[in-house]
Amino acid sequence: MTTVAVAGKGGVGKTVIAALLIKALSEKGVVLAIDADPSTNLNLALGLPLTETVGRVREDLTEDITKGSLPTGVSKQELLDMKIREALVESARIDLLAMGRPEGPGCYCAANHMLRLSIDQLAKSYDYTVIDCEAGMEHISRRTTRDIDILLIISDPTIRGVTAAARMKELMKELRTRTGKIYLAVNRVKDGLPKEIGEAINKSGLNLIAIIPEDPNIAPLEVKGAPLVELPPDSPLQSGVREIVTKLGL
Amino acid sequence: MAGMFPVDVGPQYEGEAIRKADFYVEFGGPDVKSKFELVTLKTMNEVEHEKIEVVGPDIPELTEGGSYPLGILIDVAGSEIEKEMEPVFERRIHLYANYIEGFWHMAQRNDIWMRLHKNSYKKGLNSLKEIGKILIFLYTSEIPIIEKISTTFITDEKKVEEFLPKALEVYKARDERLKGIREEDVEEFYSCSLCQSFAPTHICIATPERVANCGAINWFDGRAAYKLDPEGPVQEVKKGECLDPIRGEYSGCNELAVVKSLRSYDRVYLHSAFEHPHTSCGCFQAICFYIPEADAFGIVHRDFVGNTVMDVPFSTMAGQTSGGRQVEGSLGIALEYLRSPKFLQADGGLYRVVWMPKEIKERYKEATPQDLYDKIATEEDVTNADELVDFLKRVGHPWVKGEVELPV
Ligand SMILES: Nc1ncnc2c1ncn2[C@@H]1O[C@H](COP(=O)(O)OP(=O)(O)O)[C@@H](O)[C@H]1O
Ligand code: SF4
Ligand SMILES: [Mg+2]
Ligand SMILES: [Zn+2]
Repeated sequence: MTTVAVAGKGGVGKTVIAALLIKALSEKGVVLAIDADPSTNLNLALGLPLTETVGRVREDLTEDITKGSLPTGVSKQELLDMKIREALVESARIDLLAMGRPEGPGCYCAANHMLRLSIDQLAKSYDYTVIDCEAGMEHISRRTTRDIDILLIISDPTIRGVTAAARMKELMKELRTRTGKIYLAVNRVKDGLPKEIGEAINKSGLNLIAIIPEDPNIAPLEVKGAPLVELPPDSPLQSGVREIVTKLGL
Repeated sequence: MAGMFPVDVGPQYEGEAIRKADFYVEFGGPDVKSKFELVTLKTMNEVEHEKIEVVGPDIPELTEGGSYPLGILIDVAGSEIEKEMEPVFERRIHLYANYIEGFWHMAQRNDIWMRLHKNSYKKGLNSLKEIGKILIFLYTSEIPIIEKISTTFITDEKKVEEFLPKALEVYKARDERLKGIREEDVEEFYSCSLCQSFAPTHICIATPERVANCGAINWFDGRAAYKLDPEGPVQEVKKGECLDPIRGEYSGCNELAVVKSLRSYDRVYLHSAFEHPHTSCGCFQAICFYIPEADAFGIVHRDFVGNTVMDVPFSTMAGQTSGGRQVEGSLGIALEYLRSPKFLQADGGLYRVVWMPKEIKERYKEATPQDLYDKIATEEDVTNADELVDFLKRVGHPWVKGEVELPV
C-alpha cells in the first residue's frame, strides 16, 4: 500500500496529473483516489460521478449530534465508517472519495479524528492511494490520511512557483512526523526548462523528477468537457506521468 | 477449518473489503431500503437447533451484480442466556460474517451492508444456507452457553418490510435501556485528550451520565473508540472510589486530572459548576453560566446569535470559559448533558436553570420537569439580569421561591 499526495499552488496541474497518475496506477493495482480540493473536480478528470462528500457526512453528523437524534447503541465511529463507505464512488479499478468543503466554525476535533480513522481503515484495502490536494497544505497537515509515502509537488516554470514548492517541502517536514519522499515536477514547460528555473531548483534542494511540456491535446478535451484521462497515450502529460511512475518505482 | 465449508473461515479475513467490481451480489447497503439483522432469545422449545431457512430467492436465483434486501433472524436458546445478551450476540454477526473468506459485512441493525465475492461464489459459497451453516458453527463453538440456535434469511422484500417495524421496536427498546445506565452500574469511564493540542490541561471525561463537552463522545462511543484503538486519544478510566456521589467526585478521575492537567488540577467534580468543575477546552456545545443576580444558571449554545441575559454573546463567554481551565460558575457542556439525571446534581440540577435560548428550551422540553418549563426565561422574555429577576419572581420559579433543596 503506497500513498501519494499531489500538491502545489492553484492551477499548476495537480488535478490533471493526479488523474493520470491514478489511471496509470490502476493498471497495476486498485486505487483509492482522494479529492482533497473543496472544488471537487477530480471526478470530472477521471470521468466518474460524484454524489456525496466527506464534508457533508461531517455536517450531517454534527447536526445529528446537536439534535441528539443518534441511536445510543451504535457508536459514532461505526456510523461514520458506514457513511464514508456510502460516500465512496466505486468503479472498475478506481474508487473515489471526495473530501468536499472544509468544516465551518465550531468543534470538529472528534468528528475529524473519527473520519481520519475511517479513511485510514478504508485506504488499507487498496494498493495505492492518490490524494489530489487543495492549493493550501490543510489536508496534508491534519486531515485526510496520516502517512504519506510520496509527496509530489507540482510547479509551473516560474521562480514564484519553485519558491512556493520549496516552502511546501519545509512545511511538510515540520508538520508531519513521518515524511516520505518529496519530489518536484515542473509542468507546462514550453521549449525546455529555463536555465534560471533549473538553478533555482538546484539551490532549493528540491528533487526534480519530471519536466512536463505544455500539452496541446488538453484544450480539445476541455472544450468537449471530456475526462482528461482520455488524453492520447503519446501526449506530453501522459509521457510525463509514465516517467514519474517509473522513476518512483511504483 | 479447511474442508468443512466451501471457503476458508478465520479472523485473517476480517479486514478484507470487497469492491463493487468484485462482488457477485450484495445485500443491504445504501441502494436497499429493506434490511436488518436481529438476534432473539427464545425458549428451548421454540428453537429448532441448527435449522436454516431462506425465505425468498436464494443467491443462485439472484442476478449477478445486483443489490438485494435481506433480513437476518437468529434465534438462540440456552438456560444461561439472558435477554441483555441479545445485542452482544447480534454484534457477533458482524464479526463472524467477516471471518468468512470473500464475505464482507458492515454496520448493524437496520443499516447492514454485505457483499459476496465472485471467487467465493465460484468456490461454492452459493447459498445463504452455507453462510448460515458457518455462522451457526461459529456461534456454537465460540459461545458455549448457546444450546440451540437457528437462522432465517429473508430475501423476499415484502416480508423483510413486514418484519422491519418489529426489529426497529427492539432496537429502540435497547437504546432506552442503555440510556438508563448509571455511573453506579459501571466500573469504567472514558477520557478523551483530543483537544489537548490547543488546551493542554484539558481532559474530557465521559460517563454513562455525562457526555463529553463537544457532544461527540458519549460513554458508548468512548467504549467503542478505546476498543478499536487502545493507544488512541480515548482511554479507559477506572472510576475508582466514589468520593462524593452528589458532586460526582471519583478517585480515578482525580488521579487522571492530576496527570492530564500537567498538575494544574487534582480534583474534579463531574456534576457541579462550583469548586472543582470539569475543565472546558473550547469545543463545548453550550455553556452553563452562573448569574449572580439570581444565584442560578443560564445556558447558552454555540448557535445562539445575539446577547445572552448577561449582556454578552456566546463568543465572549466562550473566551472566558475555554482554554482547559476549571472556571467556577462557567462550565462547557454538551447539550445532551441536559437530559442526564445527574445534570449539575450538586447545584440543584435543571431546577437551578433560569434562562435558556428559546430554541434549546423547546428542544429539551420533554427533559424538563413540567412544573419548571414555563418558568425558565428565554431571550423573548428578558434581555438583562434585572428583567430576569423580575420575571422569575412574577412566574414563581421554584429556585427563587426557595422550593428547591440541594441534595446532601
Ligand atoms: N501540461 C499542460 N498543458 C496544458 N494545459 C495544462 C497542462 N497541465 C495542466 N493544464 C491545464 O491547466 C489548468 C489547471 O490544471 P489543474 O489540473 O486543474 O490544476 P490544479 O489542480 O493544480 O488547480 C487546466 O485547465 C488544465 O487542463
Ligand atoms: S471536547 Fe470532544 S474532542 Fe475535545 S477532548 Fe472532549 S471529547 Fe475529546
Ligand atoms: Mg485541482
Ligand atoms: Zn476541544
